[in-house]
Order: sequence, then structure tokens, then C-alpha cells
Amino acid sequence: MRARYSLYLFTLPALLVIGLFFVHPILLTFDMSFTNFAGIGEAKEVGWRNYDRIISRDRYLREVWLTLWYTVIVVSALTVTGLFFAAMLHRLPLIRNFSRAALYTPAMMSFVVVGYVWQFLYSPLNGGINVALRDLGLGAWEQNWLGDPSIALYSVAFTQVWMFTGFTCAIFLAGFAGIPEEIGEAGRLEGASSWQRFRYLELPLLGPSVTVSVMLTTIGTLKTFELPFILTKGGPDGATRLLSIDIIDNLFGQYKFGFASALSIVMLVIVLTVAFLQNKVLRDRENAS
Amino acid sequence: MSLSETVTPRTTTGVDRDLLLRRGKSILVHGIVLALVAIMLLPLVYMVMMSFKTATEIAQDPLGLPDSLYWGNYMAALSSMGYVRSVLNSMGITISVIVVVVFAGAMAAYPLARLENRVSRVIVMIMALGLATPNFVTITPIYVIFRDLGLLDSYLGIVLAFAALKLPLAVFFYTSFIAAIPIELEEAARLDNCSNWQIFWHVIRPLLAPVTATLSLFVMIMVWNDFIYPLLLLTDKDKLTVMIAVYKFVGNTGIDPTKLFPAAVLGSIPLLLMFAVFQRKIMAGATAGAVK
Repeated sequence: MRARYSLYLFTLPALLVIGLFFVHPILLTFDMSFTNFAGIGEAKEVGWRNYDRIISRDRYLREVWLTLWYTVIVVSALTVTGLFFAAMLHRLPLIRNFSRAALYTPAMMSFVVVGYVWQFLYSPLNGGINVALRDLGLGAWEQNWLGDPSIALYSVAFTQVWMFTGFTCAIFLAGFAGIPEEIGEAGRLEGASSWQRFRYLELPLLGPSVTVSVMLTTIGTLKTFELPFILTKGGPDGATRLLSIDIIDNLFGQYKFGFASALSIVMLVIVLTVAFLQNKVLRDRENAS
Repeated sequence: MSLSETVTPRTTTGVDRDLLLRRGKSILVHGIVLALVAIMLLPLVYMVMMSFKTATEIAQDPLGLPDSLYWGNYMAALSSMGYVRSVLNSMGITISVIVVVVFAGAMAAYPLARLENRVSRVIVMIMALGLATPNFVTITPIYVIFRDLGLLDSYLGIVLAFAALKLPLAVFFYTSFIAAIPIELEEAARLDNCSNWQIFWHVIRPLLAPVTATLSLFVMIMVWNDFIYPLLLLTDKDKLTVMIAVYKFVGNTGIDPTKLFPAAVLGSIPLLLMFAVFQRKIMAGATAGAVK
């Protein structure tokens, strides 16, 4: 038995790196969240004051809802677009591989590049989208995409969906590939239309792929701050001020390390809670069906 | 009859309206889906197109094709954003992170795949926590730790920070892969009195090549594109990574399209070339978790 446990020596290098640069920082964040640390100088213990402030002010509660709402929009849209392209491409083997790679290309790019390019696409006067609308005779649809508080969040979400549609599509295509041929064949023989086969034969069998896709995109979306950071900086009027943006702003805009740490802990609790609940609900549903 | 089958041309003698109809429909569906894919790629076409336009062209005809391929924007970007240096930096950092992540990850995964007990479960939990934690949660303390250890502005520091970020993924990749390797392979070696290390090195390691390739590509994409770590942890102009070079070159206020677009293309090109070459591997890896 001793020999078996000595096998754990193999985990030492990884645990050392993770311990030093992940576990230790998390504990420090927790520590700092009870101080008014400002980057330099003494950190004074302030007890629960940072957390009090978060809970007692509406604005942070609003940011939490905004973060969750943003995640819901992005994840549902990504599921639908990914499923749509995968269902189509599954039926079109001739263009499947090419299209899958083409759709995946944006996911290979940096948030910095994507953010900048879309910022320009969205710009009100000479931005690509408004000019295209004008050229198509749809000038009435022109918007100040990132400047109008009522649509800015959706513009940012749209960019994120554009970026990762290829990712969910690839996951669903793998799911489709795992569906036995005979099932589609049987559906065809029964005279089921393409939509009926998708809705009643394939979709129920894609449960595991939906689970994987929803979980990965949820965590991924909750973790992003880069797109709103580059596109809107949380504006206009706080319309895209996600919790992550507030954390970054407190850290690097105002050097309120202590308060930012408390916000970070709140964020971490939210991410873990969502991940845990989702895992439970989706797995239960999968097992039930 | 599936649409795919009707695509292959068949010789039709006489009038087979049904077949013609189906083929027409099939061509139409292919056309529509290809058009949708093309629309998804428009922002990239736009990015490349804009990079070849002069400032006047961009102002006068924001969506039009450039009159000629104007390389001036690229010349200006190349000469002032420190591109070559930043590409070398990014490559060096990326390769180092891959080496650390692959070795430490594969080693850690071996006991986790073979021993099922509380110790393994605790380690897996820590890894899962690492996967779910947003990196801006740990960035401040990492900055403070780096400052205290004198790791700020050092390649070693950023490589270790990235490694900690990506190791959980590596451990999950390798654990599921090693768990699928039949234990009988090891038992023969164990009978020959091989040590754990010898078994790992001579029996397990050679089998890990496919998953290592996929993982390396994943780590490369993430490290190459990441932006908050190098932005905070590296300040020396000579140590900047590609994305920071892009970010600093473009600036954050009053964005100039003649700078933005060539920099965006230059920043993306190395990875997009990699993608073109290793497309199949990356796509296989991207879905590895979903198929199981």
C-alpha cells in the first residue's frame, strides 16, 4: 500500500505550481477582502465592511443580475446557433468539414482583436454595420450599437455569440456523429421530415452534448471580461457594467484592492454555485430521460 | 433520401422531375448554408480589407474594396509595434508553458487515473476549482506575490502563472486518457521490478502523444491570445507579447483604423496559419470531451 501512495509524488510539480500561483492567491484574495488594502502601504482590517457595502447597495445587486442575464443570453443564443449549424451541416457532408473549420475561426482569435474589430464595426457613423444597413436601404435600422444603453449589452453579447458559435457547433456535430445511422434511416423510411427527425429523433439523443456545451459556455461566459472591457468599458451609463468589469475597474482604475477582492470572492461564489447547480440539474435530467 | 446523396451527379435519361426537384432543393440548401457561413466570416473579410485601405479611402468609402493593395499601414505597424520581437516573446513563453503544463500535467494525472481514493478526489476538486475560477479573481494577489518574489517582468514568472492557469485542463485531459489505458500494460513492467517512474516514462508516456498534441494546441491558443496576465506582469518593452503589442499600438482612445486593422491581422496571422495546418487536430480536440 505504501508503494501505491508513493505514486502521489508524481503530483508534486503540478501541486507546487498550482499551490503557489492558484491556491495561495485565492486565499490571499479572501484575506484581502477583509481589508482596505490599496496596493501599497498598510492593509487595515475592516472586518465585513466590504461585504456590507456590496450587499447594502443596489448597484452591486444589479451588476450580479446583469452578469447572469448576459450569461443567459449568450449561452442560449450559442446553443441555438450551434445546434442550427450542426443540424444543417450534419445533413450536408460535402461542406461539413470546411464549414466547421470556417465557423471555428473566430474562436481562434484574441478577445483584443475581436473587440477592436467589432468596436469599429459598431461605430455609429462610418462603422461597417451602419454603412451596410444604409447601403441595403435599411437606414432606418441604424443604431448607436454600443452607445445606446438599451442595446449595448446585446451588441456585446452578439459579438461573443459570433465568436463562439463555431465552438458549440463543433460540440454538437460530435454529438450528431455519435447518433447511430439507423435512427435517421428509420425516421426517413417513416416519412419524417428533416425538421421532425431533428426534433423527435436527434434532439433527444443530443442531451449529453447539450450538457457539455451549456456547461462550458456558461463558465466561459461568466469568466469573460475582455469583450465588454474593450468594447464599452462597462458603459454607457453602466449598461454593460458586469461584475467582472467592476472588479477590473476597482483594481486598476481605483486601486481598491481590498474592495475588489471582496467583489472577486462574490464572483467566485456565483460562478461555483452556477456551475454546481447546472451540473446537478443537467445530469439529473439526462439520467431521468 | 438524404440531401447528401442527391449531390453526387447521376446520369438522368429522360425526364425525372422528382430527381431534378430534389437536386435543385439540395443545391439550394447547400447554397443557403454556405451563404450563412460566409456571413459569419464577413467581419474577418472586413478586417483584412480595411487593413489595405488608406485613411482617405476608409473615410470616403467605409465598406468599399480598396483601390489597390496599400501596404503602407503594414509598414507603419511593423516598424513601430515591435512585431517581430513580440512574436518571438509570445512563441518562447507559449512553448515554455506547454513544456511545463505537459510534463507536470501528465505526471500528476498518472496517480489520479490509477488511484481512486480521497486524496485523488481532493486533488481533482482543486483542479475543478482552477478550471472554473475567472483569472481576474487571482490576478491581484498574483501581482502582489510576484512583486514580493521579484518575479515581475520576468519570463519565468509569467510562464509559471500561465502554467498554473492551464494545468487543471491538462490534468483533466491526461487523467481521462490514462484511465483508458489498460492496466495490464503496466503489470508486465511491474513484474520486471520497474519503478513507478520507469513505468510512467517507458509505458505510459509514449502513449500520450495524441492527447499531448491536442492539449498543446489548446494551451497555445489560450496563451497566445491572453491579455490580462502579460499586461500586468510584464512591463519591459522588450518582453511584450503579441497581444499586448497590438493593444499598446492601437491604444484605447480615439482608435485609428489604419493602425487597428493591420495590427489585428498581424496579431492573428500566426495562430490562423497554425489553425489552417492543424485544423483537424484542433477540431478533434475541441470536441474530445463531448463525444465521451
